[in-house]
Amino acid sequence: MTMRITAQMTARNTIRDLQGDLQTLSKLQAKMSSGKEITRPSDDPYGASRALALRGELEGLQQYQRNVDDGIGWLNATDASLSKIADAVHRARELLVRVSTDSAGERAREAAALEIDQLIETIKQEANVQYAGRYIFAGTATDRQPYALLGADTYNGNGDAIQREIGPQVELDINVTVSSLLGNGQAAADDRLLHTLRDIADAMRADDGDRLRNGDLQRLDANFDALNQMRADVGARTNRLTIADGRLSALEQNSMQLLSDVEDADTVETLIQYTTQQAAYNMALKAGGNVVQNSLMDFLR
Amino acid sequence: MPISSFMGLQTSLRGLIAHQQAMNVTGHNIANANTVGYSRQEAVLTAMRALSVPANSGVTGHGAQLGTGVDVTQIRRIRDSFLDLQFRTENMQLGAAAAKTNSLEQIELSFGEPSDDGINMLLSRFWSAWSALASAPETDSAARTALVRHANTLATAFQSVHEQLTQVAAQARSEFDAITGPGGDVDNWARELAQLNRTIAHAVTVGQVPNDLLDRRDFLIDRLSELAQVSVTEDRTGAVRVDFGGVTLVDPAAAGGYTWPQTLTRPGGKLGALLDLADPTGPALSYRARLDAVVADLVTSVNAIHSGPGGVDFFDPAGLTADRIAVVATAATVVAGSGGGDGRNDIANAIAQLRGGSVDRSYSALVSEVGSDVKQVLSTEAIQQALVDALENRRQSVQGVSPDEEMVNMVRFQRGYQASSRAMTTLDDMLDTLINRTGKVGL
Repeated sequence: MTMRITAQMTARNTIRDLQGDLQTLSKLQAKMSSGKEITRPSDDPYGASRALALRGELEGLQQYQRNVDDGIGWLNATDASLSKIADAVHRARELLVRVSTDSAGERAREAAALEIDQLIETIKQEANVQYAGRYIFAGTATDRQPYALLGADTYNGNGDAIQREIGPQVELDINVTVSSLLGNGQAAADDRLLHTLRDIADAMRADDGDRLRNGDLQRLDANFDALNQMRADVGARTNRLTIADGRLSALEQNSMQLLSDVEDADTVETLIQYTTQQAAYNMALKAGGNVVQNSLMDFLR
Repeated sequence: MPISSFMGLQTSLRGLIAHQQAMNVTGHNIANANTVGYSRQEAVLTAMRALSVPANSGVTGHGAQLGTGVDVTQIRRIRDSFLDLQFRTENMQLGAAAAKTNSLEQIELSFGEPSDDGINMLLSRFWSAWSALASAPETDSAARTALVRHANTLATAFQSVHEQLTQVAAQARSEFDAITGPGGDVDNWARELAQLNRTIAHAVTVGQVPNDLLDRRDFLIDRLSELAQVSVTEDRTGAVRVDFGGVTLVDPAAAGGYTWPQTLTRPGGKLGALLDLADPTGPALSYRARLDAVVADLVTSVNAIHSGPGGVDFFDPAGLTADRIAVVATAATVVAGSGGGDGRNDIANAIAQLRGGSVDRSYSALVSEVGSDVKQVLSTEAIQQALVDALENRRQSVQGVSPDEEMVNMVRFQRGYQASSRAMTTLDDMLDTLINRTGKVGL
């Protein structure tokens, strides 16, 4: 059947075509102005679910990075303190070696004992160091000073670990238990650093060269080894965090790239599509204008 | 029987009258070129019954039939009722698709994804807030306040989406009620159809074809076809019975000519889609149930970890739906770690590790499903729209007024009229010769 073309048909078709073109144009315009390929899930349901997952992932990666940064700060503070404690132990060993020979007089030993007392306070002070208002050597009792200055050598914290989440399902202990190094003093007789140093000071005051030479030096060295091990451990953990930091940055870059691939509009492509569509729209306008205008009426007298 | 000398005048007069009438029809067509639902009309010209010239009255002795002119026997409406049938079937599907698209797009917008403040990001920030709390779990920590704030924002977002989904279902219900209620479209159209039935039957009884009333009736049935399945049966009087969504809506035999309101037994079209949207098993409320399940998962899994050491819940354990989710913990009562030690953070870490788990996954699956559903109904609507457009084009091709055609007809009828009057003048001239000039020889 040959179609008769009637007035309402032409008008309807023209309007429908123009509307169709305008809709496409407005979609493209939205794409250009937002820069997004996906503004609603129905634009691309699979892409949208990818975008949701990637956005969540990105937020997570940024949080892990904050955790890692915090952990690195914590471990750096730990290392700085341990380094100062090591300096103190080193100085104590020097003093010990210097006054352990019997040529050292009673007064020299007395002076050394006084300095050891000071070193003990320094060590306790370092063990009481805070990071962001928290005692880093107190286990999870971060609100309690691990050691009372000018008081008993008992450890007031606990031995629990503090973890930082540095990746999905990945946690890392960031604290070290200083009590295993410093101990609980002479009362506990645990041969740890504070006990040893107190004993050394006592031996110096008692002018007991024999004790200084035979027992105390070895105990001090053993504690020094333990301290060095602890510092190595802290260094290794800092290292791990630094590596994690780098990896998280790389992952973040990667996720951003993926998100952009999924979500962002290709500017050049969109622009070309827009121009093409606009040309089509102009053509439709022109055609519509001509078709609707002319009729036989124009030619009848 | 001799033929009257004046018969030719009568024949020409008929030509004049017929062409004038045809011209009037053309004028009516042109006037209604843009009337929605109008079918073009055509004056059917038929030759009048001939006069018999008996045998043996002529030289040859043969008889003859002498034409007596023209008559408009009918003003015909040009319309293809088969196309109407097709149009109404597809229009019903389009009505359903359009109503569904409208609601589903609203649902899609209420989720507001993907964006920086959709539930997806708020969930993610909620997990981050736990992770941040793990970095600073102390009782005086600002991370606690931040966590509670994030949790409340998340709860509000769930509540708002829940509310909007409920709204979509309620709106569908109230739109259904507005259309089907007293004074609604169905009521009004059915009443008008019943009136038209009576007027049309009356006209048909006296032998007229009420073209414009028939157009109006077809137009109303077209409108009804968008709402539900319509089937039309015409009786001998020209009145129609209209079945609508499985029940008889307009029946010439019924008191008042129509029966409304009724409960539709097979609601298709827009009304069917609206009922479906308002139904508890419809899309809006089943998405809402899925959202509730996400919330239940969130609340129970966070509470299970949070209440571990001291039995303190983070979310209200009774608020297991998206509208009733509530944060009961305060900055002071948030539990970051089990056992003693201000710096314990195992609970916070454990909750932070729920990130990317079943809560996030089932939520993003829900959003993705809404997206693909919307995409599907959009394409269904587009296809249906194209079908309806094509059928409407076919109908317009048959019934629409073409100005060019009407111009040609105008010229045709004008010329016909002119020719008839010329024939009359010529006859008049002949009669003049006969009456005034005959018998004057020698005068």
